[in-house]
Amino acid sequence: MIIEIWTKERYAKNEEAAFLARLARAGLKADAARLSRLYRVEADFSEAEYSRIKSGLLTDKITELSSLAPRKTALKKAYRVEVWLKDSVTDVVGESVKEAVAHVVGRLPEAVRFGRAYYVSCASGLKLKEAVSKTLVNEVVNKFKIGKTKTGR
Amino acid sequence: MTDLLSNFTSLSKKQLAELDGTCGWSLSALELAEVQRQFRGMGRQPSRGELETIAQTWSEHCKHKTFSGPVAFRAGGRVKKYKNLFKETIVRATRKLNKKWCLSVFTDNAGIVQFGKSGKWGLAFKAETHNHPCAVEPYGGAETGVGGVIRDILGVGLGAKPVLNTDSFCFGYPDSKKKLPGNSHPPERIMRGVVEGVRDYGNRMGIPTAAGGIYFDDGYLLNPLVYVGCAGLIPVEKIAKKVMPGDLIVSIGGRTGRDGIHGATFSSANIEEDTSASAVQIGHAINEKKTLDVLMRARDLGLYNAVTDCGAGGFSSAIGELGSQTGARVRLENAQLKDSLIEPWEIWVSESQERMILSVPKARLAGLEAILKAESCDYCVLGTFPGNGRLLVTHGAAKVVDLPMAFLHGGVPNFEKPARRRKVKISAKKPARPAKSYGRILKAMLAHPNVCSRHSVINQYDHEVQGGTVIKPMQGKYGDGPGDAAVIWPQAATLDLSDFSGFAVSHGFNPAAGKLDPYQMALHSVDEAVRNLLCVGAEISRTAILDNFCAASPRDPEVMGDLVLAAEGCHDAAMAYGAPFISGKDSFYNQAKDAGGNEYPIPISLLISATAPVEDIRKAITMNFKEAGSSVYLAGVSRGGMGGSVYNDMAACGNNFISPLDMKAAVRLYTGVLKAIKSGCVPAAHDVSQGGLAVTLAEMAFSGGFGAEIDLCDAKREDGLTPLELLFGESPARLVLEVVPGKEHEFLKLVRGLPVSKIGCVRDSLVLEVRDAGARLFREDLSQLKKSWKRELI
Repeated sequence: MIIEIWTKERYAKNEEAAFLARLARAGLKADAARLSRLYRVEADFSEAEYSRIKSGLLTDKITELSSLAPRKTALKKAYRVEVWLKDSVTDVVGESVKEAVAHVVGRLPEAVRFGRAYYVSCASGLKLKEAVSKTLVNEVVNKFKIGKTKTGR
Repeated sequence: MTDLLSNFTSLSKKQLAELDGTCGWSLSALELAEVQRQFRGMGRQPSRGELETIAQTWSEHCKHKTFSGPVAFRAGGRVKKYKNLFKETIVRATRKLNKKWCLSVFTDNAGIVQFGKSGKWGLAFKAETHNHPCAVEPYGGAETGVGGVIRDILGVGLGAKPVLNTDSFCFGYPDSKKKLPGNSHPPERIMRGVVEGVRDYGNRMGIPTAAGGIYFDDGYLLNPLVYVGCAGLIPVEKIAKKVMPGDLIVSIGGRTGRDGIHGATFSSANIEEDTSASAVQIGHAINEKKTLDVLMRARDLGLYNAVTDCGAGGFSSAIGELGSQTGARVRLENAQLKDSLIEPWEIWVSESQERMILSVPKARLAGLEAILKAESCDYCVLGTFPGNGRLLVTHGAAKVVDLPMAFLHGGVPNFEKPARRRKVKISAKKPARPAKSYGRILKAMLAHPNVCSRHSVINQYDHEVQGGTVIKPMQGKYGDGPGDAAVIWPQAATLDLSDFSGFAVSHGFNPAAGKLDPYQMALHSVDEAVRNLLCVGAEISRTAILDNFCAASPRDPEVMGDLVLAAEGCHDAAMAYGAPFISGKDSFYNQAKDAGGNEYPIPISLLISATAPVEDIRKAITMNFKEAGSSVYLAGVSRGGMGGSVYNDMAACGNNFISPLDMKAAVRLYTGVLKAIKSGCVPAAHDVSQGGLAVTLAEMAFSGGFGAEIDLCDAKREDGLTPLELLFGESPARLVLEVVPGKEHEFLKLVRGLPVSKIGCVRDSLVLEVRDAGARLFREDLSQLKKSWKRELI
């Protein structure tokens, strides 16, 4: 199960502007972007237990929103970039969350991995891939995938 | 490969080289032949674990073969021979100076000097580099660099409490137009990753990161340099440690996995196109914090006899080092693992982070276990130190290593390396007249990456945690001026709020000078570090320094020549300033090769880190102008030579001469200036370094929120110095002082006979005006100067 957390739009302007500037330095002029954090929890938990982890542990309700399905954004012509550490690389954030999950649910999940999702509105998926390789991932330790997004709010 | 291993003693040179490449050992042909000879003598084939242990123990990273080896240095027609370059330069200076306040030098994980008035405390100080891992994975490399140097402080004596982290980086210019090879990261990405790594680890550990610097040069495009340092406080009676035969080998902290296999040997090789990811470690600051908390409690209860950190080489290095006299009997099946598929030899050499090795008397194990459990800190008992001088490592019934310690630590062959002076064309002619006005040059210089504000980096670090950072990295009225040194009041370690003893930490670094004259580079770097300490009012007669050399491949005689000259410079500067080296490190092979086979070597780079006591932290001073009406003085003589200057990087002026440093005059000057600072006459001091005098004045002005009217007519200077050299030249041993109006007479008495001259006054108006004998050189609005300077680096 992948739990997705993101900052509410009214608090997210700075991180989005900084992210767009990074893409621009890497040669991609993007129109808009949204950023999310991803937690992949590997366990045989029930839907209700995943919801408790999402809402009770991982989300700050004042500033953040969350979902157990990929987020829908209102961005037009947007791509979704998902970046993870490779499974062979120690994931310190994931390890810490794994222990915290055990305190919430009462059982230790098999694994928790931390990743990021970037929603980018831009003209060219190819150029986006180039920019992602230059600035968002280090292929020595990261894996990533790029796909088209679903529109909605 | 199995075939090659099982026939090791009969392999040809070519086969040995092939095996070395496959296994990633980075051993030379000579070393491989010696290993082969030893095993022929033993009448058996080595195991993989034994070869891995030898490769790690004999690596450049662990044995420092280049710096500690014999060198033949050729300059002109003369040849000077060194049996051990390190001992005959750096160590020699420390031995000759023989300072009583040096408590432990060159023998442990860090140097230790006396601290405070009580005589109860020692200050441990160490700086490391983590260059190769940061070139491959900047975030993880920087994190584990910080974690490693903190463990050096935890592993010095019976453990010191870390109270300060330092960080100094070298990157390629973020806007470099050079085409990068396929295997490299853009410099902006490297910088971002490194800064985030240092931030996340230091902040999570609860240690202030409060001193350092960033330097840009395209020589570092493929090989960034990441210097990380740490200082800690240790009770004097906890400095001595000794492994006793019969003690248990206890590993505490992180678990062992495959991460970081071959880090030590990787540091001994050039970075190639297909450099392996397995050489990268990932840090876990929270595990190290648990380890720190356990160690401090267990140390004070006397629960162990010795401790060291698991650094490069992992258990192999740490247990080998602790057991070098007693031998060690290790049972790897007892290790706490995070990877169930790991091979026994991999457990032995893994560089998984956050692990410390303790030598624990059997009777005290229960006490230690109670603390480990209370702190939720992983641990395992790996074996014993038997006292038979032999290293025996097993995994169940399988023998992994069975070697005499004497062979491991004394068997490494070393050979004489040729060195020669690099030929550099030096021009001392008058610099060309600039095309732009001095005001425009100043603004461009303030925006130069090597001069501009570092606030976007510094603000990411917690420099306040522990509540002892008295003089902060950013200073002045607006809290954003560029400080010369940090001053730390380590009350979180001493728990004594009535003792205001502190210490200052600063750096000196000048690779631009090193490209032209490595000897002068070393002198300038020591001078800059000492001068920075002086600028906060530290007791510079008690300066202790660290050397961190980084260079390209020592197989190049010119690289070795640079090293010899810089090491000689270190010796001479240490003697002149009375500042012993107490610790240091060297990193070679900072040279990258791309897919096309082109070499990218770094320039010789020497970071001098310096520390000195501050008798009363309440009297430490900062760099910003404090009061309108104060007088402004220039201490030191301005000399010709634009070599290595920021100005020359912006617009080559035809003069690349490095101004030689008169060290005796500098020491006399600094002694007088320190008296004036201590007497309360000087509320602000700032060194003249990168960018020259004009930059120093601008920084003091806009950081204080005061303007200044300056006339340089009385400034001490060499005959015939041009205004360009006077404003933007970077000749050493100069600093600008603000002098309190009512104390000018006392100040002048204290600096009588020294090259100190009044050059102007601090003013309320927010303008910096500089004249020379009445002729205006520039007049600039402070807000414009500050706007140029305050760039966002990240």
